Amino acid sequence: MNLDPVQVMKGQSNPKDPTAAPVTASSNGDGKGAWEEKEEFDQGHLGLTTKPLLVSCQRRARKVEGGIFFPKPENAVTIAVSSRVLFRTETEQKVYEQKGVEEYLRYQVEHENEPFAPGPAFSFVKALEAVNARLRELYPESEELFDIVLVTYNHAHVGVRLINTINHHNLFIERFCMTGGSSPIGYLKAWQTNLYLSADAEKVREALSEGIAAATMFMSNKLTEVSQTQLRVAFDGDAVLFSDESERIFKAQGLDGFFQHERDNEDILLDRGPLKDFLASLGKLQKKFYAKGHRLDCPIRTYLVTARSAASSGIRALKTLRAWGLETDEALFLAGAPKGPMLEKIRPHIYFDDQMFHVEGAAEMGTVAAHVPYGIAQKHPHKKSLNTGK
Amino acid sequence: MDSMVRNPDVKQRDAAQAVVVAVSSDAIFTPEVEQVHGATEPLRKGDAFSFMKAIQVVNERLLTLNSDETLLFDVILLSNDSEEKHSRIIASAKHYGLDIGRFCFCNKEDSIESLQSNNVKLFLSTDTNDVCKALQKGVPAALLYHQTDPHHQTEDQLKVVFSGDVIGSSEEMLHGLREQGFTETQLQGFKTAKGSVKEFAILMGEMRRRFGLEGSPLCTGLMTAWSSRDVCASALKTLRGWGLLVDEAFCLAGAPRSPILNLVRPHIICLDGLYHMEGFTAMS
Repeated sequence: MNLDPVQVMKGQSNPKDPTAAPVTASSNGDGKGAWEEKEEFDQGHLGLTTKPLLVSCQRRARKVEGGIFFPKPENAVTIAVSSRVLFRTETEQKVYEQKGVEEYLRYQVEHENEPFAPGPAFSFVKALEAVNARLRELYPESEELFDIVLVTYNHAHVGVRLINTINHHNLFIERFCMTGGSSPIGYLKAWQTNLYLSADAEKVREALSEGIAAATMFMSNKLTEVSQTQLRVAFDGDAVLFSDESERIFKAQGLDGFFQHERDNEDILLDRGPLKDFLASLGKLQKKFYAKGHRLDCPIRTYLVTARSAASSGIRALKTLRAWGLETDEALFLAGAPKGPMLEKIRPHIYFDDQMFHVEGAAEMGTVAAHVPYGIAQKHPHKKSLNTGK
Repeated sequence: MDSMVRNPDVKQRDAAQAVVVAVSSDAIFTPEVEQVHGATEPLRKGDAFSFMKAIQVVNERLLTLNSDETLLFDVILLSNDSEEKHSRIIASAKHYGLDIGRFCFCNKEDSIESLQSNNVKLFLSTDTNDVCKALQKGVPAALLYHQTDPHHQTEDQLKVVFSGDVIGSSEEMLHGLREQGFTETQLQGFKTAKGSVKEFAILMGEMRRRFGLEGSPLCTGLMTAWSSRDVCASALKTLRGWGLLVDEAFCLAGAPRSPILNLVRPHIICLDGLYHMEGFTAMS
């Protein structure tokens, strides 16, 4: 299988390495993979022959003047973002809501040369790109990178403005789907999306039900400064990394019931939650840095920020992670204390929580928080007056 | 030489005003493995049958808006079949109620000439080789996309996807392609694609504007398969300059096309004319 990534043509004469996987002439039915390779890499296929040219697989230099390559979706950690979380589009949203879609599109085209301001996912995306830069330095041949795809149900009329904005902010986003009103969910699968971020809770719920890690993001006015060189991702435990099993017990039987249940089941692993695989993919990339001696200054850092208590209910969480072969760099057991101040100290580029109460609390203190609308907490939202510990 | 037969069941279009497209009969009716002499039952539906139905929907909607509309699709069915099959093809078209204006029966060698002499705006085939060969000979052509699951292809909306690589390309890019080893024949295909897309895009733009943003029976899209986002932006602006504001846009930067195309489900894809792609029709 040819793993050579594809050179994206920027209108310059980039020498493309003619590599081609051998393809049998009768590739029918399941010819998808074979055909795709042939199309992308068979630059040396000359003329009308029916047999493809078998060219030696030379690995070419990755850093070509002005050219960046883009990985195959199945090899990369694909992050799909909607236009509303990558950029700020509140004004345009208002036009849409008040004056309808035609006026909205006209407005967008009129303001085409005015770039949007950064949205809630912007600093996260910038941090992903910083990690990519480091990965490319250490592993120039590898396709195991972050791949950011813009997936929006905007009409293509907004395309030019979005591309202008991407150029203005110097983002490395070359892939996008503008579905013109159709649901973007299918495209998430087509891109083998590992994480989907959107402002639309409905879409996020739909993605979650299709087994895709997803979270809703909101614009907040207060934003603390985050690192430019180290990607920091923080996760809540229950109903994010783990299932909502314990939350159900807590809601049904109260705090004591919860503690008892956790003690009784300490050695039984928790079930997986919607963001478990995303943590795993971060861990995989971290290991690539460790392998090259960058354990202490790894540009990816992960945090578990949970209301569980270290001495009791937290143990089950740690055992579960360990059994999954996963770990977070730091595990913070708050025993019910508010998460905001702790997050403010950590300064993650993104924090995932299943409860809006915590998401809002984090945002109040300037942390970019994303809501994972999963599990029992969606049916019984946390009341602000209750500040109970787990 | 060809034999052009008018379809008596279909109202003839004003060919000068219509969007004349030629469709290979193998795309509409499944080619038979064994020729049974004297068979009379209708031919089986081919890979691009839903395309015909979608065209019909567009024509019907256009006529509903304006019964004197002349900007309609005018379909010529191009057949290289043996003479004994001619009447069966005509009968099958009647059986399915297909909106085919004319049948053109000719030898394979004469096909190109027939296309050129009949003011055909676009030759459509499910065979990429045929499409690329036509482009390389200077005939505007596009691919009828074949889905392995025919039940999922839309029949109530015609979807046309243009190539951002072609439309947004620059002279520099052409030079770059030459340096990468593409033959002049292949580049000719690219140039034809680029030269002929404008006329077709203008017509599609005009047709698209007959309908509103939502509920249109015609849906247009742009796909940039291997070029950068700037090429895509350039293509969007160029199309806009030609009067076509596409509904959907996709920029793949080299990612596999099939998963995306399976969702877009276009009927017509304008290719870049560079490759003779094996197994394209088997793309699932």
